Amino acid sequence: MALIPTLTIKDATTFSDEINFSVTDSLTVTAPSSSLSTIVATATGGDSIIVPASTAIMYLFVRHTGTTDGSSSTTRQVDVEFTTGEAISRLSTGEWLFMPVHHAEADVGVQLHVQHSDPSDVVQLEYAYWKKG
Amino acid sequence: MATTTATVSISSSDLQPGSSLNLHASSTLMQAGLTAGLELVDMGKGKLTETTDRDALHEALGTIDSANWVYLCNNATDDTHYIKVGIHETVIGNLGAGDWMWMPWNMGDADAELNIEAEGYTDCTIPYEYAIFKTAYTLAASTAA
Repeated sequence: MALIPTLTIKDATTFSDEINFSVTDSLTVTAPSSSLSTIVATATGGDSIIVPASTAIMYLFVRHTGTTDGSSSTTRQVDVEFTTGEAISRLSTGEWLFMPVHHAEADVGVQLHVQHSDPSDVVQLEYAYWKKG
Repeated sequence: MATTTATVSISSSDLQPGSSLNLHASSTLMQAGLTAGLELVDMGKGKLTETTDRDALHEALGTIDSANWVYLCNNATDDTHYIKVGIHETVIGNLGAGDWMWMPWNMGDADAELNIEAEGYTDCTIPYEYAIFKTAYTLAASTAA
């Protein structure tokens, strides 16, 4: 099974020369995978495990929807982290990441952790992952 | 106003039975908060050698909680050539030949440098390219007397 990810970065206003580049790849992927899904993350990372523990390389996409439930807006940031608690990245409203996640062959998963201690602060995110074939 | 946009599309024609995958997401890169407009971009390319330990692609500022983004691509053509990507002591990813990654990176913690290391057969050389979009960056003081 093949996955074709393409990244495009554009900026025509910051500098006197335009930034406009695109890169694509053709990835061979295999099971397990998760098609595009949504999850409501909380301040407890262990409640929002999006990639189960594995030693494999997982191509991971995560996007902060900027909402708590698909409609009510929030600006709370969300950490994308290993299930051991070590941070990978921090997403703000509307931001996304795509990367081949791998924790030095350790058997760990990936979870989402809202950066606020109030249990009522939740964030809805989209995610998908595919195991490198 | 400076506006930088990052767009990803992920497609597949054979991943899902009966339907194709066609995922699309776009975001405008913001400074801390919701102010559009970045100030600095580091772009370049280089080569890693398997014999050396991990190298810092960029040091963290360690002073402010700033918004930054990282693009990194492994330009190797040999599929046994990987680039390990880490933040300080933590390995976070493994880029195979031709693979790229895009993620926000917070350099507010001094122990958050972004590092890369070549993995492959002995003495192999792995080409890479990168771009780091930054909110702000304080230039190092000159050491000239």
